[in-house]
Amino acid sequence: MSDFAVEMKGIEKSFGSVHAVIDASFQLKRGEIHSLIGENGAGKSTMMKLLYGMYGIDNGEILVNGKPMTGLTPKVAIANGIGMVHQEFMLVNELTVLENVILGFEPKKGIIIDFHEARKQIQHYIEEYNMDVQINKRIDQISVGEAQRVEIIKVLSRGAETIILDEPTGVLTPQETRKLFDILYTLKAAGKSIIFISHKLNEVMEISDRITVMRQGRVIGTVNKEDTDPRELSKMMVGREVFLDIKRTKQEVGEPVLVVEDLWTSGEKELSKIRGISFDVKAGEIVGIAGVDGNGQSELVEAIAGLREVERGRVTLAGVDITNKSPKLIRETGLAHIPEDRNRMGLNRQASITDNIIITRLRKPPFAKGGLVLDEAAAQKTAEELVKEYDVRPPRAEALTSSLSGGNAQKVVVAREVTEVKKLLIASQPTRGIDIGAIESIRTILQRVKAQGIGVLLVSAELEEILSLSDRIVVLSEGRIAGTMPVEEANEENLGMLMLSGGRKEETAS
Amino acid sequence: MSGSISEILSSVFAPSLWYAALRYSTPIMYAGLCAALTQQAGILNIGTEGIMLMGAFLAVVGGYFTGSWIIGILLAMAGGVLIAWFIAVGNLRYRANMPAICTAMNLLVLGLTRFLLETMFGTAGSFIDPKIPPIPKVHLAFLDNIPVLNEIFNNWSLTEWMVILFVVLLYILLYKTTWGLHMRSVGRMEQAAQTAGINVTAIKYQAILAGGALGGLAGAHLSLGYSTMFVENMTNNRGFMGIAAMWFGNANPLGTVAGAYIFGFFDSVGNRLQPFGFPSQFVLAMPYLITIIVLAVVLWAQKRQIKRKKSSLTGLPAGEPT
Repeated sequence: MSDFAVEMKGIEKSFGSVHAVIDASFQLKRGEIHSLIGENGAGKSTMMKLLYGMYGIDNGEILVNGKPMTGLTPKVAIANGIGMVHQEFMLVNELTVLENVILGFEPKKGIIIDFHEARKQIQHYIEEYNMDVQINKRIDQISVGEAQRVEIIKVLSRGAETIILDEPTGVLTPQETRKLFDILYTLKAAGKSIIFISHKLNEVMEISDRITVMRQGRVIGTVNKEDTDPRELSKMMVGREVFLDIKRTKQEVGEPVLVVEDLWTSGEKELSKIRGISFDVKAGEIVGIAGVDGNGQSELVEAIAGLREVERGRVTLAGVDITNKSPKLIRETGLAHIPEDRNRMGLNRQASITDNIIITRLRKPPFAKGGLVLDEAAAQKTAEELVKEYDVRPPRAEALTSSLSGGNAQKVVVAREVTEVKKLLIASQPTRGIDIGAIESIRTILQRVKAQGIGVLLVSAELEEILSLSDRIVVLSEGRIAGTMPVEEANEENLGMLMLSGGRKEETAS
Repeated sequence: MSGSISEILSSVFAPSLWYAALRYSTPIMYAGLCAALTQQAGILNIGTEGIMLMGAFLAVVGGYFTGSWIIGILLAMAGGVLIAWFIAVGNLRYRANMPAICTAMNLLVLGLTRFLLETMFGTAGSFIDPKIPPIPKVHLAFLDNIPVLNEIFNNWSLTEWMVILFVVLLYILLYKTTWGLHMRSVGRMEQAAQTAGINVTAIKYQAILAGGALGGLAGAHLSLGYSTMFVENMTNNRGFMGIAAMWFGNANPLGTVAGAYIFGFFDSVGNRLQPFGFPSQFVLAMPYLITIIVLAVVLWAQKRQIKRKKSSLTGLPAGEPT
């Protein structure tokens, strides 16, 4: 039997004219934890989806346990002991944990599902790997960390010997990440081989035996953890040295521009209902909202922006009561908003960069002639200037935003909102899923906005981003404020503790 | 209006009302089950109307030429599957918009049955002939002398009894078998099903085609059980009312059938009010009005429930200040 659980040789994959993976090779030793790292769009997820048979390869060879694979589909991959925990959980919300785990591999009596046997099988994995999950609950009733464990059990119960985890820690608190790492060590001890996709270098340096770096569809190299350091890895990832530690500028803050008083608002989940929170953002400061995804951040932002009904309490922007006012009126009062999901809320992906830039100002000069007719030349000119200023690539204002990479699409949103901001800028997950180069420039822009005396409300699931940009940090947990502190007092540990506190703790400082 | 209130009430709400409601609603029940089946796989099948009309016509054709109502039903089901197959191929292989292709099919079947009625039977409008074999009625002799039960339960058409069978069958299929689990996962989150190695397209084909068989049966019941004839456009929007019943029941078989029965109940009440001077236009509009009202209430209640569930002011642990 081969020493390698998986070998991928000379893999090529294109989507239309985009070469997602170019001549990439990758080897996974049996029983190792092997990290696959790279910026977004580097091809790491694509590479693993090829291994899992979700796409067919254009060229190259995939061997599993030394056996060449042809016509790989998820079903074949599963039959050959490969399992994948996707970044977006592949769980059906309306079905129970039990139904999700057995889906596609149901134990049967005749044509009827043998639920009794199924329960027994799953209990076995729960006990063996010490994972607590409630098998009779529906997925929409359990936490993200628990849903991830359900995914792992699902993969194991399908006989996986090789487990691919695609950015598994993105949605977890530091404490939940610890718990996940413990599970991964247990799996490794049981002889499983693990591929860990990530872009968080500190996690990679902790968990891996070996690390493979990808950049722009190519494999740059594979190194042993002992022989490398984060600096070398980031150089391999980006192709140059990067400095994400942006110097925080201290400045005098002004009057509050945003005042939230005893805000209550509905939530998509029980944990994300905002229940009685109060805070403010002053002119010229960045307030960071820290918290695990799904603890009410989205709901809070939507309530401020007029996109969700405020059930109780008051929101004041620049002295004006904007509670339950229309988004249009709120924007006119001085709000600009970089939404968390640029594809769904930030951009019309079927429209050009120009259209997306002027969309919020259609009825205002210089774009509207006489308030009715669109001045296309003026629109074009503004868009071209912004494309240049914000370094959007390719620099063609007429390009459809759906053709842009994540980072460049985000720059279009940022350009529009920053140009328009008057009093308060909400930046919700502004650097999610974009490459390091774009992260660097967007963070610099947020600093610049603050320097202009504008209040910034930054919502981010990345603690590192919160810590490096904010002047004050508000920790949100289960829809309540678990603590507020100046950035000087904050670190990953105390923020992590507050994020998990369930919002019951009183403010530690203010 | 004539007659006292109590006279009207006792006449309208006689025991036979329960059967009249069932009789009226059975075709809608089958249509609803057809729609529910595809809905479980995430497909809104408004082609139910056309599938059902095709079934109604072919049942008469099969029955008339062979003298066998069984062959009539089988031919109707095959016809339903055929129309469903066109919808499935159009939607799943050629990516046609589902409402568009369903509407096209509904119109096609309407014209096609009219054309075939003329070429095959040389008649227009309707076709009634003693050689069309009705689906037999189930005579339960032991009920003959029990007054109320006899009125309600005796002499049901065989296909009326079979609704119960299909509800049970569908319930087991959907909630107890792998096929049902696969279908429900496809309908709610395709990618999860796909990564579990389930052939999503195949499941959707199966759902649409199986729905087609049920829709064909709905038509056969209409032309051989409910009546014994074929009339142009005889489905008269019962397919759409089936879809409304499906929404009422949230695509659950039992809920769907219950929804159809409610429509039938109010329609029967309306029919019985007619002799007492209620305007006939009103009575004719009744089923559609009731459908709209019932659906509006159900959807409003669902929306309210969702709003309540999402509200921050509910679901607080006891004793916590609000």
